[in-house]
Amino acid sequence: MTLKLESLEKTFGSHTAVGGINAEVAPGSMFGMLGANGAGKTTTFRMILGLLDPTSGTAEWNGRRIGYDRTHLIGYLPEERGLFPKLTVKDQLVYLMRLNGMKRQDTIKEMRSWLERFQVEEYENKKVEELSKGNQQKIQFMAAVLHRPELLILDEPFSGLDPVNADMLKEAVLSIQKNGTTIVFSSHQMRNVEELCEEILMLKEGRVVLEGHLNDIKRSYSMKNIRIRADHDFSITETPGSILSVSSNKLETVVQVNGEEAVKDVFYQASADGYLRHFAVEEPSLHDIFIDKAGGNEHE
Amino acid sequence: MNNFWTTFSHTASKRVRTKAFAISTGIMAFLIIALLNIPNIIDMFSDGEEAVMEAVILDDTEFALAEQFQDTDQITYEAADTDPGEAEETYTDGETVIVLSGPLESMEAVLYDAPPAVEMDVQAQLQQVKDQAAAEEADLSEAQLALLQAPVQVSTQSFTDDGGAAPEEAGSGSYWMVYALVFIIYLLVITFGSMIATEVATEKSSRVMELIVSSINPVTQMFGKLFGIGAAGALNLLILGGAAVVGLWMSSEEMLRFIVNDILDVSLLGYALLFIALGYFLYGGVAAMLGALVSRAEEVNQAIQPLIFLAMIAFFLSIMALNAPELTVFRVLSYVPFFTPQLLFLRIGMGTVPGWEIGIIIVLLVLSVVLINLLAARVYKGGVLLYGRFSFKKSVKQALALSRKE
Repeated sequence: MTLKLESLEKTFGSHTAVGGINAEVAPGSMFGMLGANGAGKTTTFRMILGLLDPTSGTAEWNGRRIGYDRTHLIGYLPEERGLFPKLTVKDQLVYLMRLNGMKRQDTIKEMRSWLERFQVEEYENKKVEELSKGNQQKIQFMAAVLHRPELLILDEPFSGLDPVNADMLKEAVLSIQKNGTTIVFSSHQMRNVEELCEEILMLKEGRVVLEGHLNDIKRSYSMKNIRIRADHDFSITETPGSILSVSSNKLETVVQVNGEEAVKDVFYQASADGYLRHFAVEEPSLHDIFIDKAGGNEHE
Repeated sequence: MNNFWTTFSHTASKRVRTKAFAISTGIMAFLIIALLNIPNIIDMFSDGEEAVMEAVILDDTEFALAEQFQDTDQITYEAADTDPGEAEETYTDGETVIVLSGPLESMEAVLYDAPPAVEMDVQAQLQQVKDQAAAEEADLSEAQLALLQAPVQVSTQSFTDDGGAAPEEAGSGSYWMVYALVFIIYLLVITFGSMIATEVATEKSSRVMELIVSSINPVTQMFGKLFGIGAAGALNLLILGGAAVVGLWMSSEEMLRFIVNDILDVSLLGYALLFIALGYFLYGGVAAMLGALVSRAEEVNQAIQPLIFLAMIAFFLSIMALNAPELTVFRVLSYVPFFTPQLLFLRIGMGTVPGWEIGIIIVLLVLSVVLINLLAARVYKGGVLLYGRFSFKKSVKQALALSRKE
């Protein structure tokens, strides 16, 4: 039960939306797909779901393309949220789940347990248009998971949620993963990705710029942050390619460097005039990596 | 197939359960029943005041004609021997006074205070009794009189190309039925066409479409919708048909006879249903495609305007053709699929089309329905994921590109 993308490519006319992605998502894992707006995440998802036919390459779940005979195995939360505004929560979930081959009674039972979990039991017979955006999001999420899919695709699941609801949703996603569901999700909120994912893939203009296990990526990433605290004044000169930026505040100085040699260089420069109370080399946050690799288009 | 039924029943039940459906069907059913019962309704209100009109006949002729006037449902005749000269003074309480005078060759009736119904009846009855009197004068037998009075019959028929008799439907008796049904086909096509387009566009603009087409094939969904709305429409028609039956059952016997003999034509009704169904799928397929191309529900009207115009042109052509169905131009135009439902139906109704031609044109129509829906399905599949400003040419091109297997 693996999701496998092989040289997956999609072009629209002369524009390449997705240019040859290779990836393998292990069963039961949580896979993060990162990228700025327009990097090709949604197009990739649509190809996985069979909504779009790839120009070349394949996207396979369990060794086979996802066709309309297997859509009930997949759960999907689209980036552009959408439900029937005029239908009640119950009616629309019953309809949407019937499309996934689920019986009315099962849907209602499952729906009630989810409504309880999200603490919105009273919305069962309310029309969706009467709900707040955050609550609509919960219903949208339920529409993706009620039928207990094997593969769950979440396109920007946390956007537009307040911190309380975002945490609630995060817990829900983790519990679904615990039950064995393979999850692929995209986000440009790096904190969420760092908290949830083991494996990531970063896209820029349709091409993979970074992929692998999150910890490995961070460890091997040559760009690092150094935090220095000292009682004396010191100065560090920026050098292109190795010492990238220096910024100071009242408490500490943060230096962004590239490579082990640069770290040594900074240490000599700072310690030349006195004692350093604190000198720490930190692995970059995903946020830094994202800005470095995906080109500063992040909207957080 | 399972998902087809899910979409089908969802679409149909959603539509049938709306208040608008119940109200509009109810109003139309009521109107149909009322229309068929106009004589009863008139009776209901006129009861008592008009029920019996009294007419007094002062006979100044030498044939004792007054005795021969027959009472009708509304009028009672009474022969009186008052002097005609005093008629005005004698009767002033709302009775009609009829004064008959003159010889057979110039018989005359003068009516005082006569409502139109009495005037008409007197005209007819006086003619009859005068004929009777004249016949007796001339010593004619009953049989000879019957011969004289036997009515003549005029009817219209047309030749078909192979020189045989025209189809059974021929005849101007069906004129009103054809007129009504052409109008009904037109009305249904635009109503349901815009209903389909709106339904599709609404799902697309609320963005629930992406969720749906990730579960089921958009083509299945499109046909589920098309048939679902069709079923809701069929239910509507069925109820109205039921209302017509109830209305006829309630109405007077004459009305029933009038409708059944002079207006209703069962084989025409069959053709009408066939053309309604084919027209629905022809226009509906295009409407679904147009609905899938727009991004917002507000743009639907703009997008389906060309389709509405086509239906309108077909309707106006049919109105013109009603008076000259045999013209070549209408014959040729009835081959155009978008005009066929109304024009061919009209030609059949007016009896100007041979059987083999009906067959060919219907086959052509069925073929175009299939082709249009195949194309619509292709555009629909790509269109439902396409967002942006509506431009027909650009959108169709993009949608086709999106749906293409590469």
